[in-house]
Amino acid sequence: MTTDKLPDGVSEMVPAYLGRQRWYGGTDAPGPDQVSVTAADELAVSGEGDHRLLWVLVDVGGADYQLLIAERPNGEPAEFLHGHDAAVLGSTDRAYYYDATLDSELARVLLDLVTDGVEQAERVRPVTVEQSNTSLVFDDRLIMKVFRRLPEGPNPDVEVTEALAAAGFAHVASPVSTWRRDGHDLAFVQRYLAGGTEGWALALTSLRDLYASGPDDPAEAGGDFAAEAERLGVMTAEMHLVMADAFGVDGTGFRSVGWPRVISSIEQGVRKAVGAAWPGSAAALIERLRAVDDPGPAIRVHADYHLGQVMRTDEGWYVLDFEGEPARPLGERLTPSSCFKDVTGMLRSFQYAAHFVLLEREQHEFDRVGKLAEAWEVRNREAFLSGYMGTPGIDTLLPVGSENRAGVSLAFELDKALYELTYEQAYRPDWAIIPETAIDRLLSGSAPGFGG
Amino acid sequence: MAVTPVRSNGDDPHWFRRSVFYEILVRGFYDANDDGTGDIAGITAKLDYLQWLGIDCIWLLPFYHSPLRDGGYDISDFFTILPEYGTLADAVELVEQAHKRGMRVVADLVMNHTSDQHPWFQESRQNRTNPKADWYVWSDDDQRWPEARLIFIDAEKSNWTYDSLRGQYYWHRFFSYQPDLNYDNPEVSDTMLDVVRFWLDIGLDGFRLDAVPYLFERDGTDGENLAETHEYLKRIRKEVDFAFPGKVLLAEANQWPEDVVDYFGSGDECHMCFHFPVMPRMFMSVRREQRYPVTEILARTPSIPEGCQWGIFLRNHDELTLEMVTDEERDYMYSEYAKDPRMKRNLGIGRRLAPLVENDRRIGELLHALLFSFPGSPVLYYGDEIGMGDNIYLGDRDSVRTPMQWSPDRNAGFSRADFAQLYLPPLMDPVYGYQASNVEAELRNTSSLLHWMKRMLEVRKQHPVFGTGRFEVISAENPSVLAYVRTGNDGDIVLCVCNLSRFAQPAELPLQQYEGKTPIELLGRVPFPRIGELPYFVTLAPYGFYWFQLVEP
Repeated sequence: MTTDKLPDGVSEMVPAYLGRQRWYGGTDAPGPDQVSVTAADELAVSGEGDHRLLWVLVDVGGADYQLLIAERPNGEPAEFLHGHDAAVLGSTDRAYYYDATLDSELARVLLDLVTDGVEQAERVRPVTVEQSNTSLVFDDRLIMKVFRRLPEGPNPDVEVTEALAAAGFAHVASPVSTWRRDGHDLAFVQRYLAGGTEGWALALTSLRDLYASGPDDPAEAGGDFAAEAERLGVMTAEMHLVMADAFGVDGTGFRSVGWPRVISSIEQGVRKAVGAAWPGSAAALIERLRAVDDPGPAIRVHADYHLGQVMRTDEGWYVLDFEGEPARPLGERLTPSSCFKDVTGMLRSFQYAAHFVLLEREQHEFDRVGKLAEAWEVRNREAFLSGYMGTPGIDTLLPVGSENRAGVSLAFELDKALYELTYEQAYRPDWAIIPETAIDRLLSGSAPGFGG
Repeated sequence: MAVTPVRSNGDDPHWFRRSVFYEILVRGFYDANDDGTGDIAGITAKLDYLQWLGIDCIWLLPFYHSPLRDGGYDISDFFTILPEYGTLADAVELVEQAHKRGMRVVADLVMNHTSDQHPWFQESRQNRTNPKADWYVWSDDDQRWPEARLIFIDAEKSNWTYDSLRGQYYWHRFFSYQPDLNYDNPEVSDTMLDVVRFWLDIGLDGFRLDAVPYLFERDGTDGENLAETHEYLKRIRKEVDFAFPGKVLLAEANQWPEDVVDYFGSGDECHMCFHFPVMPRMFMSVRREQRYPVTEILARTPSIPEGCQWGIFLRNHDELTLEMVTDEERDYMYSEYAKDPRMKRNLGIGRRLAPLVENDRRIGELLHALLFSFPGSPVLYYGDEIGMGDNIYLGDRDSVRTPMQWSPDRNAGFSRADFAQLYLPPLMDPVYGYQASNVEAELRNTSSLLHWMKRMLEVRKQHPVFGTGRFEVISAENPSVLAYVRTGNDGDIVLCVCNLSRFAQPAELPLQQYEGKTPIELLGRVPFPRIGELPYFVTLAPYGFYWFQLVEP
């Protein structure tokens, strides 16, 4: 315990502060007795010697969180905190305390520290749309991801990104430096993908164009996305091939352990989703999954693969964030699985995007636009799959036979939709309709085909 | 329309880097002698108009003696002017008058081939021993150089054609009536250098060198971009630099940018090269409503030697060239911009700008705003400044070569000849016809596209950074927004922000490196809020754009 490095009164501010952070796992602020400071340090002093950068590790009911706290003397203005009340911890009679990642002076000090003095920057800006970490962009050249909730052992994002880059995979942002302390990966610096756009934003652009221009066939719309989807499919397959090389292929284990688990997870999920009524279609579906005689090999996968995890840049698609689905336990996220876990994750994302933009429209348009939404989804599914399946070598990582393939992909698509449903019901009830629609479709057998 | 006795861009040897070019089809611009065909004297008569518009350099399509089977690109005498177009004296007069108005004149020169009617070829085909026997590329069979692709896939089946008189095949990369000159013969390479000297002597300011990649042929190659071709172009450049400093060589090499840069040499080959692939990408970006088609081609464009410049354009006398896009994108461009199969030809689309964008003035203006602010010197095609249309029923490439529409009068004010005598009928449809779209009406209407164009060119001229500055894309999370900064060595900084979408769009631009500066919108000189430490927020109207000068407060 090095809590002596933390000024009096600051540790008392932490529980309420945690409760205000998006990256904090709980829904309410933890009670004071649930939070304990397990490590603290003064990383740097700057300014006139009165700006301090403090590093704090706290334990909240067994979960470790990293805090970077800035200290400035009372009375000194900090305009950058304007509108960021949630990031302020509070003040003592001598100084005030806030999230240091908002302080460009201290953030630049942090970069210097994390990269061991190799990298310096003139400018820094925070990335605004983020949930589980805090990211800072330096000079539009480097991005530093500050991990907040710290897993035991290596961070999977760092681990996978480094392995893929080392294997020469060009579609991850090159790693520059990793900051490790006390057995934790704390921060990760990578090349910044300047000029990049999330796949999600690009898909919405395409959909808004389609819904407004309204040709019956999305292939005729100016904003057609299919070429992008196909290239994305190719990149995904290449990613899997490199992952298989770097982390190995489990040829048999998935069949005996992983696959039965997927089926039972689906069974539970469906029961939860449909309540007491257990429709015949659900029983038939489970039967069909049990009939899969070989679900194919398993590899280390991305595990939370969707349009928000890929970036379009001038050099094509890039893949980000190998941390897996935040709501699943880490052990589960690291377990090898079928490539179809990622493939169907992306396919689900196409439906999400199409439906999300549909929800922007007026109720009376739903009939017309709903047809377009489905047509867009089907077209881009097919394009993505054609890119994926057409990539040389990918066959070796997939189940053998079209029945097996269709069964495994159906399972993962449904499993993902069930996961989404739980998540949306907890956090965004207005969106629950999106996975609900997909689950209905999958159970009734009216979902778009798997192609391939 | 006062006459300014100084040359635009003064005596700067790099004048072409800050110039706006205007491409003229001699036949189609203005008929000064009432014979139904435009002529060189007609261009001289309209120089005041071009000066008013803000043009720095006129580019003349071929005016040489020719049977005109390929719009004059089939030259039958390099030293005389096609009689319908006028005389050598007319050309001298045009150059003098242009120079008086501060404008320059460059002309097309076809180096690769001649017409089959050229006396050189007629002599060469007589037998295998005549003095010109080796001036063209002859072979006993048609099997040599199978690696060379067919360029005019619609019209030609082979790059070899049999000549029954000589009993041999001759080589042609383009049409069969355009035999390739044999540059391995020193008499040919010397003579073509004489052609260059001849026209620079009478005052031309340079050449647009047509189809340069194909001058030489070598076994086992596709016959494009060969080292020998570059050597020869360097020889021309050396001669030009020595005897005619300040003149420009502009290469037409329809290749990927990484191959095209070779035509700059190390600053000792061509001064300018056309950047072909950026053009279809601009159209594609607007259709897709996202910037990547454009930014990815700019990202893969290598830097060019000091003192060189790209030539960029939206449309020209040829089809919208699609050789440089991938097959999938080419199909897409066809389906988007050429719904009518008659609009397709070779690997491109034969349409003018206005009909390509369905006469949407906002898109037309946006595309010009991109053209005027991208790295390179813009080349306008005659008539595009008034939003002229095309006539796809005219066949070949004539659809975009109809007479310039000067006024609502008879024959569009282009000619006083009988209508039936015109080389092509002017457009008469209700949307693009000369009654609806002509220079006279647009001059009177200050909200016309023509006046807008003039204002844009004025602003561009005030900021040489558009021609010579560095180019850097600014990351915007919104894929429909394209933002970039042009930075000059003189400290001038211009920020361009464009909305490629049909919908209004917001953008947050990371402009921290310009913190403290004030953006001033260049068309209205309206100051915008100062750039702070937070991302700079702008909203853009559909297809809207801003040009901001970033100034210290």
